Amino acid sequence: MSDMGLSKDVIYGRICQLIEPFNKKSVPLTPQTTFANDLDFDSLTVMDLVAAIEDEFDIVLPLNMLPDLETIQQVTDAVEKIIKG
Amino acid sequence: MSLTAVKNTFDTIEPTPTQDRLPRRFGDFPTLIDALEYAAQGERGVNFYSARGVLEVSASYATLRSRAERVGRKLAGMGFDRGDRVALIAGTHLDFVVFFLGCQYASVLPVPLPLPTSFGGRDGYVSQLRLQVESCRATAMIGPDSMVEFGEEAGEGLGLKFAGTFAEFEALDCPDGTLVRPATDSLAYLQYSSGSTRFPHGIAITHKALMANCGGQGRDGVQLVDTDRCISWLPFYHDMGLVGTLLTPIANQVSVDFLATEDFARRPMQWLSLMSRNRGTITYSPTFGYDICARRVSASLLKELDLSAWRVAGIGGDMIRPDVINNFAKTFAEAGFKPTTFVPSYGLAECTLAVSFAPIGRGMEVDLVDERILSGEMMGRVEQAVPQSADLADGDVMLKTASDEGVRLREVVNCGVPLPEYELEIRDEDGVSVADREIGRIFVRGASVMSEYFNDPETTAAVLSSDGWLDTGDMGYLSAGSLFVIGRAKDMIIINGRNHWPQDIEWAAEQVDGVRSGDIAALSLPSRDHGEVPTVLVQCRVRDMAERQAFADAIKRQVMAITGVQCRIELVAPRSLPRTSSGKLSRSKARQQFLSGKITALDY
Repeated sequence: MSDMGLSKDVIYGRICQLIEPFNKKSVPLTPQTTFANDLDFDSLTVMDLVAAIEDEFDIVLPLNMLPDLETIQQVTDAVEKIIKG
Repeated sequence: MSLTAVKNTFDTIEPTPTQDRLPRRFGDFPTLIDALEYAAQGERGVNFYSARGVLEVSASYATLRSRAERVGRKLAGMGFDRGDRVALIAGTHLDFVVFFLGCQYASVLPVPLPLPTSFGGRDGYVSQLRLQVESCRATAMIGPDSMVEFGEEAGEGLGLKFAGTFAEFEALDCPDGTLVRPATDSLAYLQYSSGSTRFPHGIAITHKALMANCGGQGRDGVQLVDTDRCISWLPFYHDMGLVGTLLTPIANQVSVDFLATEDFARRPMQWLSLMSRNRGTITYSPTFGYDICARRVSASLLKELDLSAWRVAGIGGDMIRPDVINNFAKTFAEAGFKPTTFVPSYGLAECTLAVSFAPIGRGMEVDLVDERILSGEMMGRVEQAVPQSADLADGDVMLKTASDEGVRLREVVNCGVPLPEYELEIRDEDGVSVADREIGRIFVRGASVMSEYFNDPETTAAVLSSDGWLDTGDMGYLSAGSLFVIGRAKDMIIINGRNHWPQDIEWAAEQVDGVRSGDIAALSLPSRDHGEVPTVLVQCRVRDMAERQAFADAIKRQVMAITGVQCRIELVAPRSLPRTSSGKLSRSKARQQFLSGKITALDY
């Protein structure tokens, strides 16, 4: 898969782009930004974003990973891990 | 196991048929096992679809029965006794169904446990599992591969006889035991869907109650016909998913197609695609499910969908919002959806599931009621109510939300006539039954009312009288035999169909430094878009603005971390939250006073 070679920075950047449409309060995004507290995302918004991430990277983010993903950095790491298999 | 591997293996499987030759019986069985064994004589069954709508697993009720029997033998062989509790992490998988039914063959009580639903919140989720297992003193916890680490963490030190995956349990090397079939009065399962997560109590349902409710839903509620096929994305750890779209289809011999809840949440359109492709006729959803579909559908998908076979679009599980429902009807009219398909319903896990269904084929009917009567500001009958059968024939619905005099009117939905098994009364504060169109508390008595909150006589006695009347805690009125529900259980906060108890949110907020017990009231307040926003009122003694901000932020974070609820925080003056005569917080008064401006929010 061509995405194999994506660097962490590229993944982070793309995830931030995917978050923007949901970022209604225009919270500045950093790797440490949290979905629940900083961005105020409810669970439906999170699942909408998960779908967007899955489509963007052609991966599946398993349900059992979600409880450990609090920040954009953690999601970036998880996506990288899945892409590299 | 990766998704693609599954796809390839099951490339050629066929879903179970919608129709077969087995004569329909409406849940007239002594137990769920008898119901399963009857259904197993036909060809119908359950089907599980992937996130992309590919059929991955299909099992006839006959297959389900034989696998369940094997699990039952193993449970008995392992030494699980009649009445023991086994916690099952309830993913939307065939394995959960096999084990839920397998427990019945050993007369063991399955207890469905929830799945995580969002980013973050690991600790809150694990402690929720643990509290439920402790509350019912389960002796085993079994779940899908993917959830095993959470299950093991939650069960640590509880002395469980078994903690592991479904596959590990089935592979255990132990001699088969003898099946122990339940009696009709035996408990069938415990349900935790509607209770507090911090102070959980399991709703105990007997086989007799279950069969009465399933039969009533099939025969009188949705009035099943030969061509009916159910499609569902509702979770098995919720009463509407477990009873409504799994056990009721078994008890009435209907094929079901399942989409996992988390897949629906990501790609809601798969629900309607499945309805279209498989000629689904029956499905249920809380209001928000209809809402996200109407908001996300694309023009190209609308052209592909054929929803003309759809017969029952059940609505329940949260307050029904007529504007959202009408918008769905309008959006999907092009795909053949008929507004008369909507079936508003009322139910609660304490009644197994269903209490009443609106008449089939009539669609949603609403009363317009003066908001002052509903909020208790004005006493009396719902005199002003003008029954407005929404004229949905042309798919263009306009409902008045305000009268000429500037009086705020609210739409109250007709949830239909109670199933024949129930007696239903609306009572005033003194427990006296009130007249038609007068608002009061909804009480019901009937075969499918729960036996008890498991092992909790005190909490049980608070809602269930010795002569069998259940206090639903909900408010409503009757009009010519039809039930109109105006408010859900007590002070419950419902977000996207999930119930949250204010006590849980208040408890979470009290864990923050500087908060004293009694400083907090968790409420649901109306939002600008006619929805509800969970709000925490906090008595605040801090004067510095920056400190106030930090204080409010800390509470918001703590509530989110523990309960997963995204709350608005409002700081109020010390001693401003109203109390009852016995000194307990009055949430309803706090809500009223905050909305009317008697309690004002402090700036921060």
